[in-house]
Amino acid sequence: MSQTRMLILARTLQAACWIALWLGGLCSNLEAASARSRDPGREIYRQQCARCHGKNGEGVPGEYNEPLQGDWSVEKLARVIERTMPEDAPEKCVGADAEAVARYVHQTFYSREARERKRPARVEVSRLTNRQFLATAADLLRSFGPEDPSVGSERGLHAVYYNARGFDNERKAFERVDRQINFEYGTGSPENSHMGSTEFSMQWRGSLLADETGIHEFVLESPNGVRLWLNDDDQPAVDAWVASGGAADHSFKLRLIGGRAYPLRLHFFKFKDKSASVRLLWKPPHGVLQPIPARNLATTRSSPTLVLSTSFPPDDSSVGYARGVSVSKSWDESVTQAAMEIANHVVKNLDRLSRSQAEDKDRLAKVRTFCQEFAQTAFRRPLDESLRRSHVTDHFQTGRKLDDAVRRVVLLSIKSPRFLYLGLEGASEAGYNAASRLSYALWDSLPDKRLFEKAARGELNGRENVVAECRRMLEDPRARAKVLSFLHHWLQMDHLEDLAKDPQLFPGFTSELIADLRTSLNLSLEDAVWSESSDYRDLLLTPSLYMNDRLARFYGVGVNATDDFVKIPFDPRERSGVVTHPYLLAAFSYPKSTSPIHRGVFLTRHIVGRALRPPPIAVAFKDSDFSPDLSMREKITELTRPQSCQSCHSVINPLGFSLEHYDAVGRLRSFDGDKRIDAASDYVTDDGETVRLTGGRDLAEFAAASGQAHATFIETLFHQLVKQPIAAYGPEVFSRLRESFLASGCNMRQLLIEARAVSALYAPGKSAATASKPRS
Amino acid sequence: MNAIRRRQFIRQLGVSTAVLPFLTGLPSLGLASPVRPRQRLVIVFTPNGTIPGAFWPSDQGRDFKLKEIVEPLEPFRHRTLFLNGLANKVRGDGDNHMRGMSCLLTGIELFPGNIQGGSHTPAGWASGISIDQEIKNYFQSRPDSRTRFGSLEFGVGVTDRADPWTRMSYAGPNQPVAPISDPYQMFSKLYGQMKDKENVQGILDEVREDLKKVRKLMSAEDRKLLEQHESLVRQMEKEMSAPEERKLRAVPPSFEEGIADQNDNVPRLSRMQIDLLVNSFVNDMARVATLQYTKSVGQAHMKWLDIKDGHHSLSHEPDNDKVAQEKLVKINKWFCAELRYLLDRMASTPEPGGEGSLLDNSLVVWTNELGKGNSHTLDNIPFVLVGGGFGFDMGRSLKFERVAHNRLHLALAHAVGHRIETFGKASLCDGGPLSLG
Repeated sequence: MSQTRMLILARTLQAACWIALWLGGLCSNLEAASARSRDPGREIYRQQCARCHGKNGEGVPGEYNEPLQGDWSVEKLARVIERTMPEDAPEKCVGADAEAVARYVHQTFYSREARERKRPARVEVSRLTNRQFLATAADLLRSFGPEDPSVGSERGLHAVYYNARGFDNERKAFERVDRQINFEYGTGSPENSHMGSTEFSMQWRGSLLADETGIHEFVLESPNGVRLWLNDDDQPAVDAWVASGGAADHSFKLRLIGGRAYPLRLHFFKFKDKSASVRLLWKPPHGVLQPIPARNLATTRSSPTLVLSTSFPPDDSSVGYARGVSVSKSWDESVTQAAMEIANHVVKNLDRLSRSQAEDKDRLAKVRTFCQEFAQTAFRRPLDESLRRSHVTDHFQTGRKLDDAVRRVVLLSIKSPRFLYLGLEGASEAGYNAASRLSYALWDSLPDKRLFEKAARGELNGRENVVAECRRMLEDPRARAKVLSFLHHWLQMDHLEDLAKDPQLFPGFTSELIADLRTSLNLSLEDAVWSESSDYRDLLLTPSLYMNDRLARFYGVGVNATDDFVKIPFDPRERSGVVTHPYLLAAFSYPKSTSPIHRGVFLTRHIVGRALRPPPIAVAFKDSDFSPDLSMREKITELTRPQSCQSCHSVINPLGFSLEHYDAVGRLRSFDGDKRIDAASDYVTDDGETVRLTGGRDLAEFAAASGQAHATFIETLFHQLVKQPIAAYGPEVFSRLRESFLASGCNMRQLLIEARAVSALYAPGKSAATASKPRS
Repeated sequence: MNAIRRRQFIRQLGVSTAVLPFLTGLPSLGLASPVRPRQRLVIVFTPNGTIPGAFWPSDQGRDFKLKEIVEPLEPFRHRTLFLNGLANKVRGDGDNHMRGMSCLLTGIELFPGNIQGGSHTPAGWASGISIDQEIKNYFQSRPDSRTRFGSLEFGVGVTDRADPWTRMSYAGPNQPVAPISDPYQMFSKLYGQMKDKENVQGILDEVREDLKKVRKLMSAEDRKLLEQHESLVRQMEKEMSAPEERKLRAVPPSFEEGIADQNDNVPRLSRMQIDLLVNSFVNDMARVATLQYTKSVGQAHMKWLDIKDGHHSLSHEPDNDKVAQEKLVKINKWFCAELRYLLDRMASTPEPGGEGSLLDNSLVVWTNELGKGNSHTLDNIPFVLVGGGFGFDMGRSLKFERVAHNRLHLALAHAVGHRIETFGKASLCDGGPLSLG
């Protein structure tokens, strides 16, 4: 089995929900591969079963017609075989033999994973994933508006203060940048020297920068008159110009796409109210309610983005990355709902989008032109004459209201396979295909104007052109958002929700602190990717952590009190990149204690890059089963002592133990209870080499140099980006990416470009040999 | 009612038996014949006080003549109650226009706030729920009177701002309910999803064609996904065309396009809103409605009456300014004629699945935030009630001596079976519900 195949297998197996902590018969891929040649199960199958079930379980006409496939576990298969097989003499295959043959059958062709593995890898036509749909709809509408200026580096909001209740320019007091909206004026004024306290008013404007995609909750607190516009220049999200009865909280929810800027305006006035104050708070996904930090506010202007509120059923992620390989009734209904949402948005904003007014003489022509552009942008390629008719002009029949014609064009465009599917290859449209592949790989969204024009001019053929375009596109915030989402996936951060610990044992480890830790880790990740060297090894080796005042106090670090996150260098023996980041250390821990197994499984799969099989028997860790005198390491050692556990736990445990110097909230410790921490153990690599690991840094250094670790990182990245199996692009692609990764000094940005170039330059004919193979 | 007349009604209303199913997920319309007769409440508001001499009947009792402003009500005189002598006795923060408006249906003080009127202290929103919302909540709490929206708040020419002069309806303390002034917006609230569905239905055929065409370009393996998709589209087509139990009794009115929400269009906007209001009642989408013309201190310029001045400015002119008085009578009479249109529509619409007309099962209340424009008095607030729905003894002109208007609100609540002890400010409820039976 090729290296690549093995990885795909590994990925497939990973889909099993490991977080439920199963222990027992795990084994690494290497063992599986080497075991194959001397597999007694294979021999038994050939001798006793193949006659009726066929050489590969495909069935034998007249004997046993059906292919041997199903979803029983190995144990169940073994039990059934022991009792009933072979049919003429069940006693011939029992005990260890039955178990061996069951295992062989299961992993070779019986299980779903085995069947999936046998299917030849190919580039499939797939529909937009949910993430892609959301971004595509947003950018489709944005393509008709002005391009926003770059967000810039100034953080906070631009503020104008007035010495009157109205925004009277004559009574303007001053302008400045406010880093946050978190003001308590009491009975006074914002600047007692410049302003009176009976009446005053302010206007703030700028942009809100969202980190994550999802529902954001906002609370605007003020006893005075306030109005807030967010991602909508016309309709205020809060209209509380009338202060009434003192303090009031105005809250609302808004769905936002991470990595983008949204226009924000806040107006305030006080008139004879007893007191004055104003606070603008938010609770982003994975976050807590707190004043919007300065790092999420920018003084630059931006224009509104359509963020669909329709929710979609989850995408298929059974192979380890979300991809659009299936359609369902609920998906079709969501698409329809979303199409109506877009249609309503278009009709509401038709004047702006079509650059015309209802009373204009050329209104119809302009609206029709807009509709053509809309369909063309949605389809990511020009419309030919017949499409123009069927999808646009035919809908403008006489007697139909203009709004309804527009609605129909939008509905048809969004429900069309030309919008919904990627990889509908028309031979004459190679340039547009490449443009789409690039933009979806880089942004999860449709090609921008420049890319579209390049495609039209045939300038997207050839590696150099593509690489140059990749470099440009990497500068776009959407690329950053996509890379961050890949890193979240790699580090399992997209699935982590509950990091709460026992408050008695870990006082101060609050939800605010957990949110800070996530921010801290995000900053480290972005730092590593977008720094000059963009060195993957920095992710693992950096001795620095980002901390704000709250984190610094909790982790006992002396730092000047500030709300901002600053990069704090640690002793390299104490911290080493993501593996010792408190967010992940806490995530892979129990509420009351560390969990070397959670940590070990995470490290095995994601950092060191070895495959683990889902265990056939479940063993729960119960702290109360053990003598309280034992250290966690001793408990785990005892629990996993059986030989059947050791095949995998000989890998998991040394990795997990290496982080025992960090407690369940990621603080350094020397003792576990009364026992001095012993983090040292011997780790046996998949090449059979023994490595002595004494702590987190040893582990990180090992991973940073490990070919297996690189391979996992490259493969995860490729699949998150391209959403097609890497093997489909030819057997040499993977090794080529590995080589260039090493040659570039593990440069992640270079890897991003290389991976994208592979997919963008892909021509369907290339791997036709694999694609035409029948499925087994 | 004879057969010919009934057909006429149907034609007038555009009622048809066409199946107009909704998209999935809408609550049932509940159009089965009612267990108990339906009761509906409409509150019509017009601003800036009236001209008492041209409004209030001189006589009391059953035998009374209609003065000039209310002449349009003549056909409904025997179903009308004039309630003279009711006073808005709520005091506290805010000027009389503000309290006139925001305490009109709430009967309770405004919160202190930052909105400065022409006089008095600044104020905020009302500190309690309004009677229309109270009755709506009561209806919505009972299965036999629950409807999709419960209440609908219509506006005509209400300016696009939110302050205590523009809001009379409150869902609770500090919760003003904004009237919808744009009939297209109201239409889309009532029927938007249905129109969406029609449009979706209209393109499904083409979507299937498109899938077929695209499918041809693909490998056999990829085709499967598209075939599956195609069958989903067919399934949706089938489900959408399947006859449903839920039908609309009346098709939505069809409006001319592009009537902008602005002063000169007020007469047309008024009729559109009334048509929608009646239509929503026939389809039983709500049992309570408010219809608010402009706002307190509203400055409608009624050019269609050849009046160029703003309504509020005119209302400040003294009694001896005959020209101004005449104009104000004309303005108020125009409002009354719009009320008449509403009454005509309701009286000529049969009660769906029940007896009599819509008006027989409804009560329409016409009111104002001031008794008189140039004095800003909150005494003798105009309250004219029309319709048979609340069991009051109609066709009378009644005179009270400065009775708090809270007691009328109590009477409205009791008439629908909602027997609350007090409403709004409790101390203004002494004497209990007005006896109108």
